[in-house]
Amino acid sequence: MNDSGAVTRILFEAFPAAEVRAFYLLGYSAIAVFFYGVYVQIRKYRRGAALALDGHVWGRLWDMASTVLSHRTIGRRDQSAGGAHRLIFYGFALLFLGTATITLQVDILEPLFGIRFWQGEFYLVFSLVLDIAGVALIAGLAYMMYRRGWLKLPKLDYARPDRAPGDPDFDRPQYRREDWAFLWILLVIGVTGFLLEAARLVWLQERPDVWDTRWWSPIGALIASGLRGAGFSATGAGLLRHGLWWFHGLIALALIALIPFTKVKHIFTAAGSLMVRDPLAAQRLARIPDSQKEPGVAKITDFTWKQLLNLDACTKCGRCHEACPARAVGAPLSPRDVILSLREFANATLQSGVLPDAAELDVHGKAPGQVAMETLWSCRTCMACVEICPVAVEHIPIIVQMRRKLVEDGAMDPLLQKTLQTIHKTGNSFGESKRKRGAWTKGLPVPVKDARKEPVDVLWFVGDYASFDPRNQKVSQTFAALLHEAGVDFGILYDGESNAGNDVRRVGEEGLYEVLATSNIAAMAGAQFNSVVTTDPHSYNTIRNEYPDFGGKVEIEHYTTLLKRLFDAGRLKVTQPIQRRVTFHDPCHLGRFNKGYDAPRDLLALLGCELVEMGRCKSNSFCCGAGGGRIWTPDPVGSEKPAQNRIREAAAIPGLEVYVVSCPKDLTMFEDALKTTGNEGKFVVKELIELIREAAPAAREPEITA
Amino acid sequence: MKILVAVKQVAALDEDFEIRSDGRAIDPEFLVRDLNEWDDFSLEEAVKIKEAAGGSVEVLAVSVGPEEVDESLRKCLAKGADRAVRIWDPAVEGSDPVAIARILAAVTRREAPDLLFAGVQSSDQAFAATGIATAGLLGWPHAAVVSKLSFAPGAKTALFRRELEGGLLHEVEIQVPAVLTIQAGINTPRYASLRSIKQAAAKPIELFGLADLGLTAADVGEAGSLSRIRRIYVPEKGRAQLIEGSAAEQARRLAAIIREFQGAAV
Repeated sequence: MNDSGAVTRILFEAFPAAEVRAFYLLGYSAIAVFFYGVYVQIRKYRRGAALALDGHVWGRLWDMASTVLSHRTIGRRDQSAGGAHRLIFYGFALLFLGTATITLQVDILEPLFGIRFWQGEFYLVFSLVLDIAGVALIAGLAYMMYRRGWLKLPKLDYARPDRAPGDPDFDRPQYRREDWAFLWILLVIGVTGFLLEAARLVWLQERPDVWDTRWWSPIGALIASGLRGAGFSATGAGLLRHGLWWFHGLIALALIALIPFTKVKHIFTAAGSLMVRDPLAAQRLARIPDSQKEPGVAKITDFTWKQLLNLDACTKCGRCHEACPARAVGAPLSPRDVILSLREFANATLQSGVLPDAAELDVHGKAPGQVAMETLWSCRTCMACVEICPVAVEHIPIIVQMRRKLVEDGAMDPLLQKTLQTIHKTGNSFGESKRKRGAWTKGLPVPVKDARKEPVDVLWFVGDYASFDPRNQKVSQTFAALLHEAGVDFGILYDGESNAGNDVRRVGEEGLYEVLATSNIAAMAGAQFNSVVTTDPHSYNTIRNEYPDFGGKVEIEHYTTLLKRLFDAGRLKVTQPIQRRVTFHDPCHLGRFNKGYDAPRDLLALLGCELVEMGRCKSNSFCCGAGGGRIWTPDPVGSEKPAQNRIREAAAIPGLEVYVVSCPKDLTMFEDALKTTGNEGKFVVKELIELIREAAPAAREPEITA
Repeated sequence: MKILVAVKQVAALDEDFEIRSDGRAIDPEFLVRDLNEWDDFSLEEAVKIKEAAGGSVEVLAVSVGPEEVDESLRKCLAKGADRAVRIWDPAVEGSDPVAIARILAAVTRREAPDLLFAGVQSSDQAFAATGIATAGLLGWPHAAVVSKLSFAPGAKTALFRRELEGGLLHEVEIQVPAVLTIQAGINTPRYASLRSIKQAAAKPIELFGLADLGLTAADVGEAGSLSRIRRIYVPEKGRAQLIEGSAAEQARRLAAIIREFQGAAV
């Protein structure tokens, strides 16, 4: 193998000193522009509100690095885009590394210490690796161009559901221009790199240290053969090399300079966003600090620096746009556009040297960059957007913070306002008397213990829907019977319990949430129990993830895991297997929010059901439309409701018999949607508890009267 | 410029209520309390005038009642009232609308507002008398059931609209100071977030006794009232039944019932 110092990367060969100086001048200028841009961006983020992150810097760094290097999040629900991005990422990273190490030798190590490593075998292997990297880059870019130009994916359509055609920011053609410019620039850099390599080979074909080792740059060598075949002489190739060198170099430097000002910055902002990710962003919302006078977000500077960074991390990949149930039924909301709108707003207001007046920082409204209240109120806080975002943009905290401001201003649907007042007055959303909270237990053969009066093993937090909704009361009675038969020592808080507050908090009524949470925490503190169970995923989420912030730390589980254990321990037995074809709807707050995907499926398997999954299941489950307080606000007449969209999806399963749910709100939403979509009679909606009752009937039928 | 808004904390029946042992009221344990619905609108109307004027108007919420009434007054403060006044003395217990009006008239003389707003009626007692009785005691011009109002602070008159039977409307100009009872629906009352209610807890509620207003126990309570409630009761339920079944079955059953009644009458 050739190991002489002569075999090395040809750099400024045959360049007049003035040109080399000019190149360095341009290079340093590009770097200066880059750093100025970085400064402007950091100044923008620092204009946001303060936020203290927990420590764990190394853990965060590791999470970020492993996510970026594995491309784990980018491939989800779009494998080919993930694969293409991987080619571009690794291609670009290696090529950048190549250039950077040349700089390291030429500008630092060699002049200072006389160290040269870009030669001999190392150089040859590296040139082979970089040729492969170049091919990867070009292949990835070619697929991305094909994807944008020919596949016409709806998620890459920038038309906004919250704007009308003709509005200045309706479909934002400047985004498309930027996307294409980015792809073309990278492609041109990649292609001219290969041409340059080939021209250099032809130009120096007389030098054996260059020519004899050319197949270590196979693509360059291949093109060089082509050039020679086309009649290029060494001199002609030299001229071509000189021109291409400058062309390639200038475009590359321009790209570096433009990074902080264009979508290219996602290289840094996405990594930064991943590093500051909150794994419980939607599950555990932030409290309003006592020092904060006005709740929520009114001005762009009320967002935290982290949220402003989130805005810049978005790459418009459209995964959230595609997953959003509100968007799917034509509501004026796309999580993508909330983020992009606010980003445009932040760029317009926070990038200049002087901060504009407070009046110009108001993010609420209908002007370009602002977010309309109809948009904010369309959100179901189902977490589909946060869950799928490959770069850890946390949409829900942003939306809820903006809703907090709307609530403070009373800018909400009158029915929602009424419901909040009702919850404040009675502690439940049904407007029923507090005293009646435990009334559903009256028909039971065995009285349910009052956990406030006697110690119990398991405290059952019942929740509003399971307590007051007549249809769900039957399910509650059945669950009580199952617990009783399995010998579980359980009790409830009766009128000591209030609405858990999960949805009140997601509406943005933080003051009312605090009242509800502290009241429930006090009620639980006054009872003796070992653990808590609930049939309501919404209550489950807030008690599990949010009550600890208010001093209420308890062991809580959803009923599915408890019943699964009771079956495993033989305390409940399947005596009449249900050989029916069923599908299961993952409740947002059980599945996506708390990863409770397995227990309900295990139970269905125990019962003997044939489970056929819907296309959108588990982490991609499609919200019933009731979350985030939307159950208290009617959907617009005439438009499809998310629950109807979902039932139609289930109806496409051939021979489906039972649509199984495990959430009280789901039962209400889907039984309604079953009727309104005309699917009544084709299959039925059932609570998993009801199926369990059928499969494990009581030894002697207990009398349950309504 | 000042607007006085008379508000009341009303009681709504909870499930399965019981009547107090003297038979003249509901056992308070079975009552759920809240700000009277109409007063929400009259307070909002006053706050709207204040906001339109941009600062020179003071809105004063006044209520007669025991300590628990503070909760409703705090809601008024949260919604934009500048001050809140509560008047109480155990002797006030048993007052009819005229006795309450006597108290409100005394506060009004002391505060000298340009306008006094009251709700058309209270949702629990529905006398619809307190506001107008206050105007009578003050000798002020008054109007009931105002459904639209325009008033510029400092003006000598207010212009308003009233609803009449048969879909007719009255447009009236009235000299101030005046008493207006405000109809529900005149505006959209704002939402008082729990946070703003909590913050309002820091604002003081001024407490007046009878002596502060130059009144004595003889002016209020049953002694100062022109009427008294003798008893409260649930009327005996009438007989009604739902006839189920097919149209033919329903008709047969209906005919049988009619025959039964005819038979009973004969």
